[in-house]
Order: sequence, then structure tokens, then C-alpha cells
Amino acid sequence: MTEEQTDDLGYEQAREELLKVVRTLEEGGATLEQSLALWERGEHLARVCQEWLDGARERLEAALAEREGAEDED
Amino acid sequence: MALQTSPEQPAPVRQVALAISGWIDRLGAVWVEGQVAQLNRRQGVGTVFLTLRDPVADVSIQVTCNRAVVDSADPPLVEGASVVVHGRPRFYANRGSLSLVADEIRMVGLGELLARLERRRQLLAAEGLFARERKRSLPFLPSTVGLVTARDSAAERDVVENTRRRWPAVRLQTVYAAMQGTQSAREVIEAVQRLDRDPAVDVIVVARGGGSVEDLLPFSDEGVVRAVFAATTPVVSAIGHEPDTPILDLVADVRASTPTDAAKLVVPDVAEERTRVVQLRDRARHQVGTWLRHQSEALAAVRARPCLADPTSIVEQRADEVDDLVTRAQRLVGHRLDRAADDLDHTRARVRALSPLETLRRGYAVLQDEDGRVLTSITGVEAGSVLSARVLDGRLDVEVRDTHPDRTDPSDQETA
Repeated sequence: MTEEQTDDLGYEQAREELLKVVRTLEEGGATLEQSLALWERGEHLARVCQEWLDGARERLEAALAEREGAEDED
Repeated sequence: MALQTSPEQPAPVRQVALAISGWIDRLGAVWVEGQVAQLNRRQGVGTVFLTLRDPVADVSIQVTCNRAVVDSADPPLVEGASVVVHGRPRFYANRGSLSLVADEIRMVGLGELLARLERRRQLLAAEGLFARERKRSLPFLPSTVGLVTARDSAAERDVVENTRRRWPAVRLQTVYAAMQGTQSAREVIEAVQRLDRDPAVDVIVVARGGGSVEDLLPFSDEGVVRAVFAATTPVVSAIGHEPDTPILDLVADVRASTPTDAAKLVVPDVAEERTRVVQLRDRARHQVGTWLRHQSEALAAVRARPCLADPTSIVEQRADEVDDLVTRAQRLVGHRLDRAADDLDHTRARVRALSPLETLRRGYAVLQDEDGRVLTSITGVEAGSVLSARVLDGRLDVEVRDTHPDRTDPSDQETA
């Protein structure tokens, strides 16, 4: 499971899959190997989600900063 | 409905009045032409009473109407004027009087004029000049607004001031034309055509204040109407509000009720637009912010779930299971070993207990005859017999001197 494989995941896709992973882990019943793989996958998905959200927040803040800058010039 | 009456069975007044009222109501609305013989406006009363007299025969009828109907007559209604009245005959039962309730009073002459205009309107409508699908929409922000109006008129001021106030950067190109009188139609046509040819002009406003039907005649002129219809630039008619609409209002792409209204229609209010944009941006920003916050919280909640937050549990749970199993296994094996050891001790004790060496250690000895048989009785042993005595650490060769029988039971003796 490499980063490259999931780089094109959208936020919603990643979030959906993350919830699925958590549910599967919480249900139990998976083998150790499967559990570890699921956990790694979950960590990765959580990171993908976080990156999307951080990116969105940065863009929002940048837009706001730009706007405030523009208003200061007025 | 005739009433069946006789001297013995007369109808009451109210019944007669009701019947008359019913008959008269059936007449419906009529157009009546006559002369105003008497005009009675009473101060503070909303209803005006006038007497309408037939110009030929000595016949008259009472007319009542709303003050506004009389006030809207142009030129003002005076006694002696010839008018055409639109009204409904009505019987007032409480006074037993008949009156024509008028909702419109027109001056004669004007009536004919309006009829002519109406015929023109119908012809042009049939030709499709007023068709909705032929209307062009106004540009949101015109680069130049063309204005056709009278020089130094209130209409010009209204359009210019209101347009500038709404959109300070607006460019106006005004072409002056007589907005009243015999030259008016020709000048308006030329002005519209000139502005239409100018590519910078995105919208043309034809503006004039209100006026009488006669004043507004040029704006129902067929040439003007056709010039506006032929224009490729959208045209806004802004002729002061009048009950009788000039035909220009119908052919124009957009009809403004007043010159001020035209200004509102041709340019957006810059402050209003700016406020709207700011509000929309604020709403969008707020929405995105809220969404981000919700999603971040949801993600944090998922990441805080034990299976993600503490992944070592995946391994540790299993490690615990293994430890547990090892402990159980050890306990089991230990138990078995203990039992085996106990067995061994026990057996060893028994073996030890059974060993003759132990007996020998306690001081006993085993006697054997020459043939090696173990002696347990004096029987067969005589004085002089040579025996062998087995003690713990060796043998003794012994010679019997005598034998003495014993009363004790020889079976008490331990045997090898």
C-alpha cells in the first residue's frame, strides 16, 4: 500500500474508506496481518483527509488575507 | 318579473324599489354622451354629483362618480363641457332616485383621438410590433447610455442624476429633440436613429415628463414607433406616467414608468451591487469555514477512535493472548512435573522402605545357610552349623553354638 496509489483520492472518497476501515477494525475478527494492513491504510487515509482539509484551510485563509489586503488599499 | 298587485294586495314600497333596482341593474355599463349641466363638488366628500343633459332634447340624468374620476379629466371638467361618460345606471332605493355611476369621464374630441390611437395600436399589434419575443433585454452594465429628451427638461435631469448616482462611471450621450409639438416626431426619429448607429451606445432611453394625451401624441406616432421597432439597440421608453399609454411604451423593449425609473432600469446601483457581492462573499466564506470546521472535527473524532489512536492494541491484544497461553501452558506442564516428582518421591520411598539394606542399617542381619538359603527359623539349624550373616557392609561367617526356640511369631520378621 504506497502513497502514490492513493494520491488521487478525493476527500470524500478517503473519508468514506477511512470510516469503513475503522468499522472493520472495531468489529474485530480480522487476522493480525489484515488488522495491521487495515490500520496502516487507515492512518494513510486519515493523513489524506487531513492534507485536503489543511489545503482547503490554507486556500481560504489566503483568499481572506488577499481580500483584507485589497480592502486596506481602498 | 312583473309584480302581481291589486288594490286589495298592494306591494310594499321596498318590494317595488327592489324590483326597479333589479331591472335597472340588468342594463349594465353604457357609454353616454352629453353635456355637463351642473357640477356639484362638495368639500370633503369623495363623491361628486353632476347633471348630464342631452344636447338636443330636454332630457337629463344624474351622474355620481368618485372625485378622482372627475379630477383626472383633462382639460379640467367644467359646467357646459361635452363629455363621454362610462357608467352603470343604478337605482338608489332609499331616495327613489336614479343615477349613473360613472367610472370614466372623457372630453369629447379627445375620445375620437383615443379611438384613432386605439385603431393604430391594434394594427401595429397585428403586425407584430409589440411581440414579446421581439423584445431585447437590457445590458447589465451599458458602456454608453443614449438619451433622447428635451433640452433642460426635468426628464433629462432625472435620468442623468439618477443614472450617475447609481453608477458614477456611466457614460451618457444625449441627443436633444423636441418632446412635444409638430416637430417632435421627426426629431425623435432622427435622434433614435443617430444613437442606434453609434456602436458605443448599448441602450437608448426616450424620456419625457408626464403630460396630456395631446402632449404625448408624438410618442404614438407611427414613424416613431417604427423607428424604435427597427432599432437594433434596446430602447427604454420613459414617458411620464399616464392612464393612456403612448404606443411607444408598447413597442419599446422595456417600459419605465418615469425617467427616474428608467435610470434604475438601465444601470445597476453600484453601492447595492457592491453590498450584494460582499454579502455573497461573506456567506460563501462562512459556509466554507463551517464546512471545514465540521469536517476537521469529524476527522479528529475518527482519528481518536481507539483502533486508530492506539494501534499498538492490535499487537498488544494478541501479545496478551500469547502470554496468557504461555502462562497456561507453563502452569499445566509445571503441574504435571510436580505430580510426576511426587510420584517419584513416593515410589523412591517405597523402594527404599522395601530395600534390605535399610533393614540392615537398622541393625538387622540376614542369616543364610551354606546353600545360601535365608534362615527364618531355628528349624533345621543345629549346634555346630556354619552360617553366613549378611550385615550392612559385609558378611560374617558364624558358627551356631545352640538353638533356643522362641515364643514369638517368626512372621513378624521382615523378609527379603
